Amino acid sequence: MVITAMGVAAHAQTLEDGIMLARGTLCAGSIYTRSQWSQYWEGTLERTNGNIGTVTTNSVSGMANYGITNRINVLAQTPYIWTQASAGVLHPQSGFQDFTGAVKLNLFQRPMDNHGSFHAIALLGGSVPTTDYSPDQMPLSIGTHSKSAFGRASLNFLGRRGLYLDGSLAYTLRDKVTLDRPYYYTNGQLYLSNQVAMPNQSQYGFNVGYYRRDLKIAGTFSQMNTRGGGDIRRQDMPFVSNRVNESRAGIEVQYPLPHFHDVQYWASYSNTFQGRNTGQATMFTSGIMFTYHRERRVAP
Amino acid sequence: MKILKTLPVRLSIGTLLMAFAALGVSSIPTGCGKDISTTEPLPTQTFSNVDANAGSWKMIVLSGPSQIPVAAPAAVNSATYASEIAQIKSDQAALTDAQKSSITYWSSGGVLRWNEVMRELAAKSDLPPAPNSDGTYPVPSAANPFADPQYPFSNPPYAARAYSYVSVAQFEALKAAWYFKYLYKRPSPSAVDKSVQSLLPSSGIPSYPSEDAVEAGVNSVLLTLMFPTSVDEINAKTQEQLMVARISGRATQSDVDAGFALGKSVAAIFTARAGTDGMKAAGGTAAVWQAITDRTIATGQIAWISQDSPARPPMLPLFGQVKGWLMAPTDIVAVRPGPPPSTSSAQMKTETAEVKASVNNITGDQLATVLKWGDGASTPTPPGHWDTIAVPYIVKAGQSEVRAARTFALLNMALHDGAIACWDTKYFYDNPRPSQLDPSIKTQIALPNFPSYVSGHSVFSSAAATVLGSLFPDGASYFTQQAQEAGMSRLYAGIHYRSDITAGIQEGQQVGNYAVRFAATDGAN
Repeated sequence: MVITAMGVAAHAQTLEDGIMLARGTLCAGSIYTRSQWSQYWEGTLERTNGNIGTVTTNSVSGMANYGITNRINVLAQTPYIWTQASAGVLHPQSGFQDFTGAVKLNLFQRPMDNHGSFHAIALLGGSVPTTDYSPDQMPLSIGTHSKSAFGRASLNFLGRRGLYLDGSLAYTLRDKVTLDRPYYYTNGQLYLSNQVAMPNQSQYGFNVGYYRRDLKIAGTFSQMNTRGGGDIRRQDMPFVSNRVNESRAGIEVQYPLPHFHDVQYWASYSNTFQGRNTGQATMFTSGIMFTYHRERRVAP
Repeated sequence: MKILKTLPVRLSIGTLLMAFAALGVSSIPTGCGKDISTTEPLPTQTFSNVDANAGSWKMIVLSGPSQIPVAAPAAVNSATYASEIAQIKSDQAALTDAQKSSITYWSSGGVLRWNEVMRELAAKSDLPPAPNSDGTYPVPSAANPFADPQYPFSNPPYAARAYSYVSVAQFEALKAAWYFKYLYKRPSPSAVDKSVQSLLPSSGIPSYPSEDAVEAGVNSVLLTLMFPTSVDEINAKTQEQLMVARISGRATQSDVDAGFALGKSVAAIFTARAGTDGMKAAGGTAAVWQAITDRTIATGQIAWISQDSPARPPMLPLFGQVKGWLMAPTDIVAVRPGPPPSTSSAQMKTETAEVKASVNNITGDQLATVLKWGDGASTPTPPGHWDTIAVPYIVKAGQSEVRAARTFALLNMALHDGAIACWDTKYFYDNPRPSQLDPSIKTQIALPNFPSYVSGHSVFSSAAATVLGSLFPDGASYFTQQAQEAGMSRLYAGIHYRSDITAGIQEGQQVGNYAVRFAATDGAN
């Protein structure tokens, strides 16, 4: 198909991958995510805590992507999240978290003889909290309640025989958050304010795998660094503006369900193998994405 | 072909802008505007009254204003004094930007700034020790404060005591300073020599001994006693305040020296008191902890147990025996409320059910209230929260340094005595938390590690509201409302029964009245 040869998928795309959706195509569905950790990094010290045991974060996200053109896609998603701790007395938290919207652009593509082609993709977007959940109940808060704006650039190679290589760089600007209390102590300082400056975050990652005819199997690696913020002090609670760093590796699979036209099953597994002020989390996702074509065929 | 290739990219700019507008994120600051204030934005101090008679106000610990003698200063026409004036002029001719901002910082008043510093030190030290690998807990050691865990763990009773020692000592030292100021009546440098600039708010108060230096003396000694690991920060603030007193033209070197010595001497009296006030024994021993449990069980009640994991020793079970400021041990017993509902009673069942229903159906406003009054680890604690509440009232009233010191002394004496009364009650009844009686109750904030009855927030807040309401009648209804809110926040959070709050509010009022009665007769009204 002309479309796939251009690197435009009939299904599937995420904020992270380097894959475009064809013009007039809507891909929407729901993803369930479960993240769990029993060990966490208090600053750089790895530990367990009998007052929380294992912390589980579940979410169900509604996601939608649409191909305005073959080279301009828009994406949106909002998760409903619920958290709980297996030990101790802390109350579970739940609610709708942040709406994320983004525009994905295929900046250029360059065929490499008969081997495949390179694509450069840019993603620009932002997020806003949809409810008044509190970020001041870490580690069970469902989010940071910060508005954000992010940009991501990725370069990927799609081989004729299905080789998929993707590398990306991202940067997230985060807006101040407001607490319900008039002071807080973090990063060696008492702040006599209810406003918390949120350090920005940078990220880079690689995906390597197979991607052809809507079947994708890829190994993933990502590194996120927070550009400032304090460490969790010994035996203290985490705080919204902590310096959270994560090195995460995993595998993801997207595959078209047999006998169901335009339905795709997504699954992934990943593990935070190194971090700072974050849980040593294992994360599973599982979901179904449906594709609707406004136009069955797309001109190149 | 070329045009076709670039077209989508050009289109994308418009699409992008539309998308951003739709998201409402176009106004997100891009890394700018992130500076958050770490100090209180206080105005330059004004004085509605210089309180010239403060030297005759009643003392609390000192025998009288001249217990610590302050020698008469050199005459303003002496050669020594002239050289001190010359030094100020040469300093003022070469002020650095850093010195100018130091002057601005202290121009809001030393009493307010030191209180702010103390709240920061309390928050910094407000961390419980981490457990050992065998499930026991280390005890912070005053003899070795920098070891892990650092000393102190500035929990609410510890912080209440620290705030009170510093506040009372500062008040006593300033009353003594006022006595000598009006005894010797040495004018300020800018009044003696018109070419000396007056860079701090001018009050016309005699400058010997320097009130700024008195404050620096008291705070440097007692804050270091209470928060020994913060000695470098404390010394830096001390030196800064002493410098500002001189370069601002408010005091000469001899004014500063006399004030600093007076402050440190008064602080030494309080250091001695702190060594024998019962604090060292307040943590108890394993035998004491067991005896409390056994006594409770013997009365047929369910005894409190720690729900920390691993179980943590009770927080300061003998703090109820620490020496009070305005309340004798018999007074502490006299304000102790009657028992909570029996752990096997129908009323306790009803109250436990109320806690569960409340915490599970918490509204957004209630959660905001819970978090506002959380005052848990890494905060200035409830006593510090109430000191913060007092600040704008002190500013608005234009209180002199000695009167601002009185406000904090009265407030923090009530908070310290309130901590004693509350902890006495807590360990007298040893009543379990709602989440112990019903383990299905989960809490919105970390569960405090001490018995439930009565609520500490309720006692602290109502004692504070009672004192502040009498000092600032305009704010009385606001303080009362805040105290009620603070108490109820603990029910919403799932950590207290309604009885804990009702009885705690009443106990706090009685405690606060001791300070109100003292204030009525101390000669300051």
